[in-house]
Amino acid sequence: MKNNIIILGGGQAGIYAAREIRQNDSKSNIKIFGEENLLPYERPPLSKDFLLDKKKEEDLYFHSSDVLKNENIEFENISINKVDFENKKLFAKNDNVYSYDSLIISTGSENKKLTLDNNLKNDIYYLRNLEEAKKIKEIVSNKNKITIIGGGFIGLEIASSLSQLQKKVIVIEIGNQLMGRIIPKQIADLVQNTHIEHGNEIILNKQIEKITKKNGDYEILLNDNSLIETDFIIAGIGSTPTVKLFDNTNLKIDNGIVTNQFCETSIKDVYAAGDVSNFYHPFYERNMRLESYQHAQNHGICAGKNIAGVKTEYTSIPWMWSDQFNLNLQLTGICDEYDEIIKRGNDINNGIIYFFLKNNKIRGACGVGIIGKVGRDIRITSKLIEKNTIVDKQILSDPNLKLNKLMQK
Amino acid sequence: MSEENWIEVGSTDSIEEEDLIRFDHQDKTFCVYKLTDGFYATDGICTHEAVHLEDGLVMDDEIECPMHQGIFNIKSGEALSPPACEDLKTYPVKVDNDKIFIKID
Ligand SMILES: Cc1cc2nc3c(=O)[nH]c(=O)nc-3n(C[C@H](O)[C@H](O)[C@H](O)COP(=O)(O)OP(=O)(O)OC[C@H]3O[C@@H](n4cnc5c(N)ncnc54)[C@H](O)[C@@H]3O)c2cc1C
Ligand code: FES
Repeated sequence: MKNNIIILGGGQAGIYAAREIRQNDSKSNIKIFGEENLLPYERPPLSKDFLLDKKKEEDLYFHSSDVLKNENIEFENISINKVDFENKKLFAKNDNVYSYDSLIISTGSENKKLTLDNNLKNDIYYLRNLEEAKKIKEIVSNKNKITIIGGGFIGLEIASSLSQLQKKVIVIEIGNQLMGRIIPKQIADLVQNTHIEHGNEIILNKQIEKITKKNGDYEILLNDNSLIETDFIIAGIGSTPTVKLFDNTNLKIDNGIVTNQFCETSIKDVYAAGDVSNFYHPFYERNMRLESYQHAQNHGICAGKNIAGVKTEYTSIPWMWSDQFNLNLQLTGICDEYDEIIKRGNDINNGIIYFFLKNNKIRGACGVGIIGKVGRDIRITSKLIEKNTIVDKQILSDPNLKLNKLMQK
Repeated sequence: MSEENWIEVGSTDSIEEEDLIRFDHQDKTFCVYKLTDGFYATDGICTHEAVHLEDGLVMDDEIECPMHQGIFNIKSGEALSPPACEDLKTYPVKVDNDKIFIKID
């Protein structure tokens, strides 16, 4: 039977879902609707190599239009603004109506915005998509002193890139550490030191009271009454799943679209994948929502398999990275459920990793080092987590002993 | 096939099985691997960003980049998993008197 499959959201999860469906089903119509008038592209370089001009727009696309054409996948630049799940219909901004038999929602996430006076709304910049990256790149070329509000991954990556472009950068973070939502403090502090060594100013534990515009520049008043003068402001204060579209529907939403381990939502024939989904992870026996490259890809693939009738559980151990200056930071598993912490390595040049264990098994690990130095151990750790290995702590803590010894056991 | 193009890398026991060594020659870097069925060689730098694959993980016939987990087939150089999408160059390898040679063009 020829099914109409629509993928709502043309980002990473969407494109991987589409191609996976085609691998398993040569007949169905597959359409991706994306509101950005761009084929699916990689977002990680936006805050890094794209700002640094090491990567151009054409380097960011996952696949060319030829690949999609060969696989008979249609990509349409359509923004959907209403969904009728009961009658399986999507309504576009241009008044067109589309029917589906099965639907994957991969609308991603969107940046939280600062609550500010109306007259400042257009003065603060955010980074999520290529258009915003282009704007930021153009504007910073004639700015010198730039303030980043929010010390999360994206803010810090921008801070690193701008510093490499010889800008004076100030990062203001409300919490008592950088990347506080997911990265252990031990690692965050190492990254903070690197920013400071490169001349970035990091202000922790401070809240913004007021931003005032002055002759084209800005004055930021903090809650300790200190004043920061700056000529450009970028905010990266976290993101929320893009679910507003489903407000008046009975799709179950709780910090994202709730899905089971098969990417199925609470509504029959409707699946969700990527940043937008709060999925059940059978290994951790809980729901979680991740915003990461590897997850968007693998979750998209898993949704694609399931929609094509190849029933597949999503069991991928979480993994993400961030690149700042010459550091590569990696995280695997989850680091907030542990009864013991073990450290491996003392020198950031060779990599430092913290392992978070529960009942002698690793639940998560986070490491940072000069580019290339933690990847192999973090990868092995993902496998140890997945296999529920009871680990020899001596090997874990001694960087001279190879971690793959633990795998062979 | 001219003999000059074969460059000596080292002895066969300098690489553990399912592992690799980095080999620098003139201004280029290579990785030389010992897999269960023999020795193989590829460029030493990931095609995604300029990272040395010597710190990557060898699993079966694959090398996984330590930076963003891009994966390449060691024997064919094929890029198997994003963010790596450009293939890795491979080089012929021969063993002579317990010494490994690679042929650089
Ligand atoms: C600047 C930046 C840097 C990052 N760096 C890293 C990194 O270093 N490492 C890492 O692991 N991860 C990183 N990430 C995270 C990673 O890119 C995301 O997790 C991933 O893109 C999520 O994929 P997705 O398909 O779920 O959503 P997205 O890629 O966001 O795609 C969603 C798409 O859906 C579209 N859409 C939304 N609503 C509608 C609608 N109503 N109609 C039509 N289309 C719609 C959106 O416009 C968007 O194009 C970064 C993200 C950003 C923004
Ligand atoms: S540098 Fe190798 S995958 Fe990115």
